[in-house]
Amino acid sequence: MMTVLLLLIPGAAALLALVLPLLPARPGLIRSVAAVAPAIQLMAALLCWRHLPADLHLDWVPKLGLAVDLGLDGLSLPLVLLAALISGMAILSASADQPRSRLFFSLLLATNLGAIGAFMARNALLFVLAFELVLIPTTLLVAIWGGERRAGAAIRFLLYGAASGLSLLAAVLALGWFNANGLDFSYEALAHAELSPAQSRWILALLLLGFGLKLPIAPLHGWQPLTYAEAPIPVVMVLSGVVSKLGAYGLLRFGVGMLGDSWLAWSPWIAAAGALSAIYGALNAIAQTDIRRLMAYSSLGHMGLLVLALAAATPMGLQGAMAQILAHGLIVALLFGCVGLIERKTGTSSIAELSGLMNPLRGLPFTSGMLLLALMAAAGIPGLVGFPAELLVFEGSWQAFPLPTLVCLVASGLTAVYAVRLYNRVGFGRLDNARAHWPTTHWGERVPLLLLTALVVVAGLWPTAITGWSEPTTAAMALRAPLSASSVISQTVLPS
Amino acid sequence: MATILETAADAGCFGTLLAAVDAAGLRNALEGTGPFTVLAPVDAAFAALPPSTVQTLVDNPPQLARILKYHVVSGARLQEELIRQPAWDSLEGAPIPIRCHEPFEVKNATVINANIVCDNGVVHVIDRVLLPG
Amino acid sequence: MISPSQHRWADVIHRLEAGGSMLPDSPNNLKQIIGIYKAYAVPMDFYWRDLLYIAEQVFLNPLPAFKYLLPQEYLDRPNSYAGPAGSPRIWRGEASAHPELLAFMAKGEMGAMPRLLHHLWHDRINMEFAEACMQAMFWHQGMGGRFNDYLDSEPYRANADRAIKAYFRRNPLMLGLYKLWPEMMLEKVKQLSYYANLGLFWEVMAPVFFEMSDLYDEGKLTSVPEAMDFLVNGIFAIAGRPIYHNVMIEGECFEIVPKSEGFTWLYEAALPYVEAVFYRTSPFRGTKSYNAQANQVPDQQADFHYGILYADLFPVGSAGIPPTLLMQDMVHFLPPYLKEDYSQHGRGESDVLIQLGVSFQRSMYNVTSAVIQALRAALLYPLDDTNPDHLKANRQFFEAQMDRFLRPEARLGEIQTAHYR
Repeated sequence: MMTVLLLLIPGAAALLALVLPLLPARPGLIRSVAAVAPAIQLMAALLCWRHLPADLHLDWVPKLGLAVDLGLDGLSLPLVLLAALISGMAILSASADQPRSRLFFSLLLATNLGAIGAFMARNALLFVLAFELVLIPTTLLVAIWGGERRAGAAIRFLLYGAASGLSLLAAVLALGWFNANGLDFSYEALAHAELSPAQSRWILALLLLGFGLKLPIAPLHGWQPLTYAEAPIPVVMVLSGVVSKLGAYGLLRFGVGMLGDSWLAWSPWIAAAGALSAIYGALNAIAQTDIRRLMAYSSLGHMGLLVLALAAATPMGLQGAMAQILAHGLIVALLFGCVGLIERKTGTSSIAELSGLMNPLRGLPFTSGMLLLALMAAAGIPGLVGFPAELLVFEGSWQAFPLPTLVCLVASGLTAVYAVRLYNRVGFGRLDNARAHWPTTHWGERVPLLLLTALVVVAGLWPTAITGWSEPTTAAMALRAPLSASSVISQTVLPS
Repeated sequence: MATILETAADAGCFGTLLAAVDAAGLRNALEGTGPFTVLAPVDAAFAALPPSTVQTLVDNPPQLARILKYHVVSGARLQEELIRQPAWDSLEGAPIPIRCHEPFEVKNATVINANIVCDNGVVHVIDRVLLPG
Repeated sequence: MISPSQHRWADVIHRLEAGGSMLPDSPNNLKQIIGIYKAYAVPMDFYWRDLLYIAEQVFLNPLPAFKYLLPQEYLDRPNSYAGPAGSPRIWRGEASAHPELLAFMAKGEMGAMPRLLHHLWHDRINMEFAEACMQAMFWHQGMGGRFNDYLDSEPYRANADRAIKAYFRRNPLMLGLYKLWPEMMLEKVKQLSYYANLGLFWEVMAPVFFEMSDLYDEGKLTSVPEAMDFLVNGIFAIAGRPIYHNVMIEGECFEIVPKSEGFTWLYEAALPYVEAVFYRTSPFRGTKSYNAQANQVPDQQADFHYGILYADLFPVGSAGIPPTLLMQDMVHFLPPYLKEDYSQHGRGESDVLIQLGVSFQRSMYNVTSAVIQALRAALLYPLDDTNPDHLKANRQFFEAQMDRFLRPEARLGEIQTAHYR
């Protein structure tokens, strides 16, 4: 029953915050109430980690194969934790005087509800339903609270999202319908679905399109820079830290988990797409003039690494993919949390307009310090969470795809280039006398950044914290055998 | 004819200047053969300075002498000669600019009475104390 | 009488022509500048005493580890322009070290502990600031006056030579060094002469600022132009003060720059000081680094613009004097009304150093105004002159002075506004 609680509590809280006029219309209070929901989720999920709860199964529309089938395994539990954590941090990162706060926070909670529902679903149709559910509140959040170009951003986000949802729906329906073993959308059934190779490949193509749009991966990333530049910061944190991870999770669960043969057949192309994304994202990030857009491209690059690891599908690669999902979720939330504070104080995220934020007296020394740490983590500096994740990715994929791995290594090196470039402009240099009259940050605003920073450091020093949960599951899902001395010899010395 | 200092004493309106010359120990020099051209500020010019200015200078003869030397040009030079050059080096070392010929001005002082010829030089009476720089 | 100026700072020029200051006249500006004069005068009371102590007593000590630990003799040394014996008596207060200075030296921020610990913990007056000002004067040189020329003259070399030999008469090692590299020691002595120069300059300014603070507290100084006029009068009153350098070696006085050279406070100290410290100084190594090869630093020393009139007051720094050191010194001596003013603006306590730095900038624009008006009075014509040619000459002079604030780094525009804090 714990699993149900995880889902229901935020849902109920969202409804309460939105509907009940009992709560005085004080944005600060509404924010606190909204933050309670993910906090409870987080604690419940931590409890589940000790004892994985039994699945919950309720038939809903049996004729369609739709059932409320919820459960947790090594793949979904870390993602539920991540989703709860990032949602909470996003809510806390919202301004204390958020306009139209009831609607804002209930939409954020609805997003959280959808994401957690998708991660916990044990039924493909339920997954699609939850996946689609996420699109509506996020689009509204962009459209209502976005920046100057919010209309364009919301439309583009919606169109890409709808395309992603439709192709995913098509893929899942095809998966169920073409399954020679009968109509059943539960994961167990689909994992052993009997499909002809052609059917399997068409379905994989649809899945790659659907999840590739969500991640996103080049060249399907058209919505991302604009949305990340225009959406309110808490929404960007959720989009980059949670929603995009739906795509990663989907690829792992459906692509690797259910269409293994086709996945292996196409994996060189998938790896190439990952490498392309990584290098394209990094190069674009170097050229950006706005921090948000820079981070959008940086995200794109990191998703490239993730896709490379998935393509390799070795035990270590899959473990690296999970690690990269969690590491990137933490890092990107921290990055955008810092950017949000900088923007709130200075009124801009333009790199050209910012400088000298490290100034101890009139700058934003705390926020820019956290930003530096987040950038270092993103660049894969040892001791921070980005390093073990990238190391696992590269070690896991090197065996299968040496060339794309090399390209990704270069892209990872470029991360340091744009991180240093950004920080040199924004953190160092001379604080502008004419601008620097903003107030300092207070502790309430710093709390989310501090928590995320603590996790980034702890998980960097103790990587098992983020890989341990999923290791058995990913090892079982691996499509390629791990690299061993004998296999190297058999490949090189005894070609057969 | 009389020397420069005798002429000044007779005129009766250079009491401060003469006292300053004594305090700075320049009397002997100015009684020498010269010839000198002296730009002599009247008492009213000294009075226009803040009172402690003169006091500080009188307390410090070398510094006073320096200011006084700025009022002296070597050679006996009448107005006609002075206006031929844009600036004249004073005995202090710094130049004295001549910016205006009609009325005759030296630096920022107006010459009230020009071309008083003495035994050992020429005196031009000015209405302001000159300061180097 | 003459047509309005077309200069970019025409407003400021017209205000100067009307007998005003570059700093607009407002009660808050007056409060800021007087409060900061007082907060500046207290550490300055230490600076001048220690500068003279170093110039006269520490002299060429090869290991001057204790040069900032001022002996009682110098704390008691009467200021020539304060106390009953002051001539003229600029400040009506006492001639020995200021009581707030003595109280701070005893306790500091850390409380009572041995003086050496205060020193090592930097819980003290930052003499490094005073030395940076001295070095700016020493390095820029040639800014008017005859002082620097004299340091290259034969008499000076002879005087310095006698003093060096006397100072090291029992130290064959240093004497040997002097034999080998005489110019090195001579250069050190020249620098020490600038210590004396700056010490004698500040000995005048400290009582001037104290007196202004007292007059303000008594309600007798009510506007920015009045504050400027007080400074102009002070400049003229002390203009003839001798600038000299004496060294005391075993009770014997060596005149390295004798008073009889006729060097005066105005020409040999004040004007070079204003030029070197207010305008020029040198790029300060904060976190902003300069690339001289990329012409980020002017190739002419006269074009240097790192003084307080151009300073970026954020501690990352671009100002030539280490402004943070002075701010740190002044923060201990703020009058209560200024503390209150700062607590109501900006980030209150936490950016008080910057706020007082901005006030300091305002107050130094006022001092510079006084210097400009004094120069105008000394070299040109009265403001109420009736001759249009004279007024034009005055105008030309003011415009030439304002030309120095055309460069973008100048803070003249900022201090015209009240929100620059």
